[in-house]
Amino acid sequence: MEFLATRFRAKFSMFKRLLFIRGAELLVLTLLAAMPVLVNSTYALGLLTLLAIYAILLIGLDVSVGYLGQVNLGHAAFLALGAYAAGLGVSLLELNLLSALTGSLLVGLILGALLAIPALRLEGPQFALATLSFSALTVITLNELEAWTGGAQGLSINRPHLFGWSLDASAFYWLCLIFLAVVWLIMRNLLTSNWGRAFEALRDSPIASNAMGIGVYHYKIAAFAIGAALGSLAGGLYAFNFLYLQPQSFTYELMVILLLGVVLGGRKSLWGALLGATLIVLLPNLLSNRLVFQIVSATGLLFSIVTINRHDARNKPFQTFPPVAAMALLLAGSMLAQNIEDWRKAIFALLLFAVVLGLPDGLIGFITRFLSHLFRIAPPVLATPSPLDDVLKTKLAHGETLLEIRNLKCYFGGIKAVDDISFSIHSGHIHGLIGPNGSGKSTAINVISGLYRPTAGTLLLHGKALPHGSLYQVARTGIARTFQNLQLFGELSALENVMLALKDTYHCPLPLLLLGFGRADERRAQADAQALLALVGLTDYARTPAKNIPYGAQRFLEIARALARKPDLLILDEPAAGLAQPDVQRLIAIIKQIHQRGITIVLIEHHMDVVSELCDLVTVLDGGKIIAQGTPEEVKRDPQVIEAYLGAAVDTH
Amino acid sequence: MLTDFSIITQLTLSGALMGLVYTLIAYGFQLTYATSKSINFGQGELVMLSAFFSLSLIDRGLPFAVVVMGGLLFGTALGLVVERTAVRLALEQKNEGWILLTVIFGLLGFSVAENLYGRDDRPFPTPISADAISIFNISITPLEISIALGVLTIMGIIELFKRRTLLGKAFAAVSADRDAAELMGISATRIIMLSYGLSGMVAAMAGMLVAPITTVGPTMAAALILKAFAVAVVAGLNSGMGIILTGLFLGALESLASFYIGSGWREAPGLILLILALALRPNGIFGHAVSRKV
Repeated sequence: MEFLATRFRAKFSMFKRLLFIRGAELLVLTLLAAMPVLVNSTYALGLLTLLAIYAILLIGLDVSVGYLGQVNLGHAAFLALGAYAAGLGVSLLELNLLSALTGSLLVGLILGALLAIPALRLEGPQFALATLSFSALTVITLNELEAWTGGAQGLSINRPHLFGWSLDASAFYWLCLIFLAVVWLIMRNLLTSNWGRAFEALRDSPIASNAMGIGVYHYKIAAFAIGAALGSLAGGLYAFNFLYLQPQSFTYELMVILLLGVVLGGRKSLWGALLGATLIVLLPNLLSNRLVFQIVSATGLLFSIVTINRHDARNKPFQTFPPVAAMALLLAGSMLAQNIEDWRKAIFALLLFAVVLGLPDGLIGFITRFLSHLFRIAPPVLATPSPLDDVLKTKLAHGETLLEIRNLKCYFGGIKAVDDISFSIHSGHIHGLIGPNGSGKSTAINVISGLYRPTAGTLLLHGKALPHGSLYQVARTGIARTFQNLQLFGELSALENVMLALKDTYHCPLPLLLLGFGRADERRAQADAQALLALVGLTDYARTPAKNIPYGAQRFLEIARALARKPDLLILDEPAAGLAQPDVQRLIAIIKQIHQRGITIVLIEHHMDVVSELCDLVTVLDGGKIIAQGTPEEVKRDPQVIEAYLGAAVDTH
Repeated sequence: MLTDFSIITQLTLSGALMGLVYTLIAYGFQLTYATSKSINFGQGELVMLSAFFSLSLIDRGLPFAVVVMGGLLFGTALGLVVERTAVRLALEQKNEGWILLTVIFGLLGFSVAENLYGRDDRPFPTPISADAISIFNISITPLEISIALGVLTIMGIIELFKRRTLLGKAFAAVSADRDAAELMGISATRIIMLSYGLSGMVAAMAGMLVAPITTVGPTMAAALILKAFAVAVVAGLNSGMGIILTGLFLGALESLASFYIGSGWREAPGLILLILALALRPNGIFGHAVSRKV
């Protein structure tokens, strides 16, 4: 009985959650669709149309700003390119409405992918600069290609018919709304799948993404191109809304307003983008009425004061008070400024400043916390773990050669980090790799796993040559590794870290995934990942962001994540480093369990007790060369090993 | 034929001299990038605000030397403000929010300038003559020479400071390895502040050097800053003196482009070079890759 009651409660809480989220989506959509009937005002209709267009635009911008975590200053350019593509498609090629909009989308997709190729190697300021330059270049080009674009004079467009119908203002609004609904559904399906997790993983650790078989290259291009495509689709709608285009409309200022929309609405959230779009659309009205503006800035000031966290205020005042100061400045300005419109840029700046520092999750983050508290909406119930045997099939290991390393060399300038080493790793073994600090263990592992390119030498896995110098390609051959300096995806939960890395789990092809057929894969991935978390004893941390779980647990999470690759060969790079003694015992137990499943393990370790207890064979490195090899007992007695670790006996002649 | 040649030489020379201004602003980026791996995206507004400030000093009738000193001090102060209110807040949280915060700061500066000083461009009177002198058929103005001298002087002084003083060596230490420098008792926070102060001073110098040519207005640095970014990226944000050559080259290139293709395309070469450089050599032509360690 009690079991049934628990199940019922679980079902009910899931149902309640779905009801709220899907219910809210339907309610808002219905309301928006009914607006033209309810409100008979051309002005309001214009604002609503713009709202739908900006929402699509911001959903696109959120992919790079929210998920990839990069400051993208080029999105306004994609809006412009999409708008001009649609306009020219109609005036030069006489396309119909839908083909023109498809054209816009394709222009964004292709140019986005092209821009992503240089931008993809870049992080932070370089990425921002690349997009900023692209943006400036676009405006120059549109201005200068006068023969086509009409230059600064502008380009007038006729809105083409849709299947023979001429669209009036409300019909066009409904068309925009349909596009928004479709974009919403598709992006929800994409971003809640492994793609969404991959986008976030790129931001937290590109190295680990590659090592987990998530090709940084593909995903970064895809993410940026998708965002750009949505931007230029919005551009097409923008063109048919205003029916007149000028390069000057797509300036730096617009870009800052778009960033304000995404950040203020809330990153990594479709609702945040919708909220942000609403705010952007209302901004001009906000600025034209002094009283409204005063009320808004006073509310903002109050809000920023109320939400101050007392603890933070004492410990790091400089991070707590700037938002308050900015809002106070805004209120003071609203009293003193002669013409508020003149100060619009300063107002955007102060608002954005306050939000970036004071409300990093945006308004939507705040609202979500508030609502789920109010209605007691529980987080989604996680799938029950799959049987471990289904996830990690026990392999038969006969002790044949799995990995052969022949004459491997890796030099950095004059430093011979790995100097001509050869040894073999036999399947089913736990092979220890030890040596004093700087002996070349980590370099050897980094070469095998593809992080470094070897200077010379051969690596054979199952007798076949291993790819050189690419973490991603090596990861796909069946080698998985952990990192000595933890490389977890900090913002993803422990469960998501493992789910992301799962191999042979996601079968649904992208087009079907976008249509919402990826849920079965997702459920199985969750169940499989739960099984691996249970193996390393982290079930309780499943929902916790990886950066917030304790250090020891993070080390175990690295192991679970590597196991999700279902590897033939697992490389553990100093897994016991920094662990407390009880955790070391747990680690030994976990490694034994993994070993029993027939997975070959390379263990780099300083703890000799761990090595002695686990390893079948040990290779000892010193100065980049192998100085001894054998069972742990043999190696421990080897005079050369003792000398390497403890120094030579003083030899006086 | 001869005239063609002299036109090209003329365009190249005056373009290259202008390019030194981009070099100077790019130098400011290098200074802060070395210590904190960050640059001020609102640096253009720093250039512009400093030019406005020194113009207001000229309006008061102060002697030119005082105007220059005042402008430099003002730029330094602005640099420090940017560091404290934008960069440090984000660097403390170890995220890339500083890009957005410096963008915001630029926008705020722009708004303040257009409201306090107006949107019109105003001439910047200078005691240095703008009358051309002709050498071998090529005309050059003392004003242009003053730009080259000003740029090289201030860069020389800062380089001397970095190499010859203890504080300057601390600067190099933080650039090389922040954590190690802190263990040696150097306050990295102070050094980052210093780098932003110097960067602001350099921006102010650039503002005062170009103002007589471009006139002073809120948008005076909008195009300038894009090209300074280009010089910094093409040469490499951590590459030292490559920026001088790159600045000269870019200045000459865009002067030729604007003459032969059309003045509207003036900014294009820098932007294209920037994107190409990022695509082909993200660490710059003169830069070096930093190997990753895990």
